[in-house]
Amino acid sequence: MAFKYITEKGPARAYMMANEAVVRAALESDVKVYSTYPGSPTVEILSTFEGALKHYDLRMELSVNEKVALETAAGASFVGMRSFVSMKSVGVNVASDALYVLAYTGVKGGCVLLLADDPHAHSSQSEQDGRWFGYTSYLPMFDPSSPQEAYDMVKEAYDLSERYSTLVLLRTTTRVNHQSGIVDIQMMNRTPIKKSDWGNDHNYTAVGVTARAGKLDMLRKMEEMKGFSEGTPFNRLQYFDGEDLHEGAPPRDEGYELGIVTSGVPYNYTVEALGKLGIRARILKIGLINPVPSRKISEFLAPLKKVMVVEELSPYLEGFIRGICKDANPSVELMGKGFGPFTEYSEYNIPMLVEALSLASGRPMPFDYRSHVKKMETLADILPIRPPGFCAGCPHRGTFTSLKRAIGSTPIFFSNDIGCYTMLVLPPIEWSDSQLCMGASLGIAAGVNYGANNKVVCAIGDSTLFHAGIPGIANAVHNKHDLTLVVLHNSVTAMTGQQTHPAHELTVAGKEGISIDIERMLRGLGIEKIVNLNAFEIRKNLKLMKEALDFKGVSAIISHGECALYHFRNLRREGAQPVPFYVDREICKRPYNCIKDFLCPAISIDERDGTSRIAPEICVGCGECAQMCGFGAIKSTATLHGGENKVYYTKADHDEFLRSKEVGK
Amino acid sequence: MKGSFNMIDCGVGGQGVVMMANIVGEACVRAGLRVISGELHGLSQRNGSVIAHQRIGETAISPLVPYGEADVILSLEPMEALRYLYFLKPGGLVITNTNMIHPPTETQMLAKGEKERYVRYDEVVERIRASGARIVEVDALELAREAGNPQTENVVMVGALAAVPEIPVGKEHMLEAVKDNVPKNALDVNVRAFELGYGSFKPGT
Ligand SMILES: Cc1ncc(C[n+]2csc(CCOP(=O)(O)OP(=O)(O)O)c2C)c(N)n1
Repeated sequence: MAFKYITEKGPARAYMMANEAVVRAALESDVKVYSTYPGSPTVEILSTFEGALKHYDLRMELSVNEKVALETAAGASFVGMRSFVSMKSVGVNVASDALYVLAYTGVKGGCVLLLADDPHAHSSQSEQDGRWFGYTSYLPMFDPSSPQEAYDMVKEAYDLSERYSTLVLLRTTTRVNHQSGIVDIQMMNRTPIKKSDWGNDHNYTAVGVTARAGKLDMLRKMEEMKGFSEGTPFNRLQYFDGEDLHEGAPPRDEGYELGIVTSGVPYNYTVEALGKLGIRARILKIGLINPVPSRKISEFLAPLKKVMVVEELSPYLEGFIRGICKDANPSVELMGKGFGPFTEYSEYNIPMLVEALSLASGRPMPFDYRSHVKKMETLADILPIRPPGFCAGCPHRGTFTSLKRAIGSTPIFFSNDIGCYTMLVLPPIEWSDSQLCMGASLGIAAGVNYGANNKVVCAIGDSTLFHAGIPGIANAVHNKHDLTLVVLHNSVTAMTGQQTHPAHELTVAGKEGISIDIERMLRGLGIEKIVNLNAFEIRKNLKLMKEALDFKGVSAIISHGECALYHFRNLRREGAQPVPFYVDREICKRPYNCIKDFLCPAISIDERDGTSRIAPEICVGCGECAQMCGFGAIKSTATLHGGENKVYYTKADHDEFLRSKEVGK
Repeated sequence: MKGSFNMIDCGVGGQGVVMMANIVGEACVRAGLRVISGELHGLSQRNGSVIAHQRIGETAISPLVPYGEADVILSLEPMEALRYLYFLKPGGLVITNTNMIHPPTETQMLAKGEKERYVRYDEVVERIRASGARIVEVDALELAREAGNPQTENVVMVGALAAVPEIPVGKEHMLEAVKDNVPKNALDVNVRAFELGYGSFKPGT
């Protein structure tokens, strides 16, 4: 694994994902405190730091949400420690209340926040453009395009942070976070953690008079950092001579009437596209996107006839360029959003850049990408869709199968939330009336209560419950709303890689924490009607679910069942193997109740006789499907070895199975 | 600009596409080659369609292979090879596992009578050939079982890849990278899986 480069003394040439490279850079910068709340595409930052814990003197916290994570990093910085905090784009919305004020208070120990945007919403609820956070909060922001640059920028960010006593932002996108490449790493020099004694010689506050003082201070720092932006090599001039990329300005002006301003991963696409077309252009690569280097931009624009701005999502750089053009070069032709294939939607790529540059230069496209893709897609038109879905053994499958039955034909409003259960939204299930952001299920329910007669059912995962669900519950109870809350207690933050959360006994890297009892918490919040279920007992649960659904007021169904990925990974670590189920073909009557609306990836149809078939390498033996079969055709493979027909779920169950296997011999 | 050797790794979430890409990436580094990979982690890993891009060579700097420019598609599942065929260059090479994984969505269509039968392996191969691609077929599941663990399909596929003459990385570097990426207690099984994959390679037709 690339993890070896985290423990490597250095200097060395490494192959790392940007998410690993930033951790290496933070560790080399002697970061002592790391805090985060998981979210794609930042998760490997978290797992890399977690792996580093046993090698370095370092503190790490999986915070309850992004706001707390940022505050934790800020607190550590206030008392002089270097800290690092990472979150996904939408996480910054949660943290932004603290973020904007931190710009006023400033920091002490170097403090860096990595925020990762997700153009194309691969794994997010929006394509939100996080670059505006830098501009609107008056905080410096870097925008790397490769693992090496991400690494270099983190190191620079710690210097900048302490030089200007400011939080520094590093904005990435999915194609940077998950990009692996060569990174030249330096020496790992770390000092041990030494707690200081707080001397109260400075405070970090912002209200009224101190807020106004902070604002002036912040404006002064921003002004000074403009100078830094003009000089930093992260904002650099390059030119492409039709064959190769060079640093600096071209030796002569003729033939270089086209200029390109770009940042982040679109820079990479631009350079390769220039090579494909063999055209000349000047490039201004902006690595520090707040504050932008206005003078540099102005000088860059002056000799140009045409300027192209290459950036994904909103016209962020374009706005600055437009403004600067008015003085620097009013007649320059600006090609940004709306030009050729450039829109504010989704991601860019090389073919798009080739098309745009072909339009701008009049050079013909070297390859007809569009018709090629069309031809190949036509060949692929026999394929079924393969959307993400619940894993084999997922407790959510059981919970929602029972829930759907318990609700029956009653017209309800299903207010969904963010987690693996969000996949209910996708085809072919498409079961959710609303789903916005973490914790929103409850607030939405309150409003629906005012406007519709329907019962509202909210689904929320355990991690989301702690992250942003609690305020919505207090609100619903206090205001006497009528809703049933289904809490999916699968023990972990499953979707993002099964991290622990406050209901778990462990915190990070196997360290013990205090587990918060969800039922007691809900009772404390004033919910009177609470039922507890075993998520896998599909039939048994119907009655209890109905009880909760029939309750007038706020009721809760807590559905317990560990995430399958988490549970069976642990089981395998303990040396046990899952005991799969199988379909007895003699008994199977082919009504497909184990398939319809059940969608287990382990179950398919055997086309020889139309019976259902369970793939033993995928099935983990949760036994949910056996309850769906009215004929008893689905049984544990244990029965084939003299064992009992039951679910072998724990290590103890498994040992029992092994013993029965021995007896059977 | 000089060219690069481009690869697409693909398959179904849970099959180990990312690990496959990691192995190839590290093998390149061992061989002294520059390499860039672009992966997608996250939602798609829940049994969805998964893809990773790899660019080998001095001049590639983008984490995405342009459409129609992959030299090789290395696929852990045949339908996924067809799904991403638009990345393959005309006449490029597809190395695919022969083991079909029918998505639950397709099974449900059969169960509900919305579709008569599953897409067949032969149809998939026929479509891939019709594109002008050459194809190498590897029964990775069978070979992984033979190696001792059905979960080593991805390493079997890496073995098959290592045997392709035009791959810029040698067998030894690839094997070293395999050893580096698999759990220490499963080293032997994986080395066997790699060798079985390597041995199974027959030039594409
Ligand atoms: C503000 C914000 N932070 C993080 C995420 C990333 N995220 C997506 S799903 C998810 C998991 C939520 O866990 P839980 O509610 O326990 O559901 P599970 O996946 O375990 O079913 C997270 C953290 C997000 N979408 N929004």
